[in-house]
Amino acid sequence: MGRLFAVEIVYRGIFQKTLAKNISRGIVLAAHAEGKPGISFGRYGDSPERNGIPAKNFAIVGTDDVTLEEGMAKYEPTEVDISIAVDDTLCKGVESWAWYGLQPINRLLKPGGALIVTSREQPDALIAMCHRKEYPYRLAIVKGTPSFSGLWVYKDDHTDVRILGAVAKLLPDLVGLEAVQKVILAEWRDPLKATSAARAYERTTTTTVRPDQGNPEKPYQFELPKWWEMREGIAIPCIRPGQPMQDMDNHKTGGFRPERNPTFKKFTTRTMRPVVNFDTCIKCTLCWLQCPDSCFDVTPDGLYDANMEACCGCGVCEAVCPVTDCVTMVNEVAFHDNASQWEMWKKDKDAYQTWLNGKIEHRPERSHGFRYRGQYEEQTPEMLEIAREG
Amino acid sequence: MDTTATVETQPGVKLDPFKGVKKLPLEEFFTSGHRTCQGCESALVMKMMAKAAGPRTIVLGSTGCMYVANTTYYSTSWVIPWMHTQLGSSGSAAMGSAAGLKAQMRKGKMKKEPINVIAFCGDGGGADMGLSAISAALTHPDYNLLILMYDNESYANTDIQLSGSTPYGAHTTFSPPGATKRIMHHRWKKNMAGMLAAGHPTCRYVATMCMSYGLQGMNCVRKALSIGGPTFIHSLDPCPKGWDYDPILSHELGELAVATGIWPLYEVKDGVVTLYGKTKQLAEGQSPRLPVREYLLKQGRFAHFREEDIEYFQKKVDEMWERWLIPGVIPFVKDVEDERISA
Repeated sequence: MGRLFAVEIVYRGIFQKTLAKNISRGIVLAAHAEGKPGISFGRYGDSPERNGIPAKNFAIVGTDDVTLEEGMAKYEPTEVDISIAVDDTLCKGVESWAWYGLQPINRLLKPGGALIVTSREQPDALIAMCHRKEYPYRLAIVKGTPSFSGLWVYKDDHTDVRILGAVAKLLPDLVGLEAVQKVILAEWRDPLKATSAARAYERTTTTTVRPDQGNPEKPYQFELPKWWEMREGIAIPCIRPGQPMQDMDNHKTGGFRPERNPTFKKFTTRTMRPVVNFDTCIKCTLCWLQCPDSCFDVTPDGLYDANMEACCGCGVCEAVCPVTDCVTMVNEVAFHDNASQWEMWKKDKDAYQTWLNGKIEHRPERSHGFRYRGQYEEQTPEMLEIAREG
Repeated sequence: MDTTATVETQPGVKLDPFKGVKKLPLEEFFTSGHRTCQGCESALVMKMMAKAAGPRTIVLGSTGCMYVANTTYYSTSWVIPWMHTQLGSSGSAAMGSAAGLKAQMRKGKMKKEPINVIAFCGDGGGADMGLSAISAALTHPDYNLLILMYDNESYANTDIQLSGSTPYGAHTTFSPPGATKRIMHHRWKKNMAGMLAAGHPTCRYVATMCMSYGLQGMNCVRKALSIGGPTFIHSLDPCPKGWDYDPILSHELGELAVATGIWPLYEVKDGVVTLYGKTKQLAEGQSPRLPVREYLLKQGRFAHFREEDIEYFQKKVDEMWERWLIPGVIPFVKDVEDERISA
């Protein structure tokens, strides 16, 4: 038997669907150019994709046909040589369509395998986000703002080809740089893209992540009943009505916290989170009312606290808030837990203001997708500069 | 019209209009944890629809995003009872459920009480596949039910195939713009609410809404549920996945659809047409109608438009406002008006 290679690309659904397809297709075509057969496919269970909700693509390559066929007899790979996260906030874990519960981003990595992340963060920040693994693996960063665009207009900022260059560096037995460049020229007919791949190849370095590094939390899981264990008519219980909240200072109850779907929390969809200035809030209700995810808990003092297990970071609350800088969306990499902002504010209002201002002033750059025609043309030069200069 | 002689309609749930956003009930009947896109306005419609209807409500959902994303295996966001029904059958499911409840109560098998029956469908399930069943349901005056069509202007669930509700020129999986032919979709959007109101004279309430104007939308739902008999609401829902925009724009795009005059807000109650909200301001000249380009160019699905395409779109919307018999509602032109315009 020959050798089987598996690469997974974890991406944010519709926002990165074309990007993920370009990468997995590029890997398979480059391997093919070296005489190795392969197949590129999306995980069926993730379909139909949404924007933001994590999904997966796979590139499977064998050194010969029989090895590939044997490898493809499985529904999807149980271990991979390389995991690619095209958005750094995916390092916090993944709750996709195809899965109930939280999956660590490095879950399928083989010992010594490589995790490639597109990010402007340093390795330490990313390692702290990833769940711990029982054996060492390698982390490589392709520097840049995670590339987001919708289904119809693609942001061609060279993220795809730079990742192909990094793959060639990390796993030369799978594809060499020469084959990658050949495929890029054939597919895109753009010598600059081939150069970007070569620059990424030259610059890619790895950090070894040890088993004692990373997030020690155990990811949550659910054991769901089988269909034959359900009630007649395959009926399932509704969500219970919610309850008023309790103020921890005076133990008075008031406001409302809805019960929420326990088997899908949605927070791993989030790439930005709202931070709320409770001191300037005028209690207009709009963030709470217009939130498509019912993520705001109504507090006993009539404020609105975005519940960080339910918020998926769409930003509508910031858009509808009539007060300047009362609700501000901040890059999710700046946070380490899902704690209640309202409780933090109640405990120490001055400390909360300092924390809040720090988050708003130092928010790392982040872009969600199409806002107006011509926007991507404004954003790509900076990414091309990074591709060129590192 | 007087149908009391032949029709026996049970009293509906008493639902007074909400007086303001601060008077809204805090309870949610459609809650967090659905697998919709970030910034999904259709999920917002479900939340507000359920909030307006209250706890004594049965919801039936035909296939589409609001079925597939909200209720995956053993997982739900519904607090009130919900059942899936087939793609084209929101009308028949609503009528069957309403008739079943009525019969059970008449036979004493259930406590006699007003229960709301709402069936929702997407534009594919409603304006395309389910049109005949919705039409049939709206001709039966003896059942209390609401059919709510959440229109995100494509079959968005299965990755954006075009529907009868997709606007002119939009990029969809079935209409990708090419180098030779730029506009692959040249049909104009179906006028669902106007068609159903005009075609079903015994239906007492038909309305359009957009949940960027949440309070007005919820009051439409309340009126539809309390007036008695079958009713229909058509909601326009911005869709970040299919329209290709940053989800932070979801709310603003709903407002722009109304402010550009593309999406008129109106209700037809017992045969009387009333424009409401922002649309009323546009019609009365209190607020200028914005150019459609402000709406179109914030969406990737129209990014291939050239000036001539924007001009065509604007011309069609202008026609709707300046030449239609009832602006935004009934697309007929009176002869006298034609003469006046040509003169």
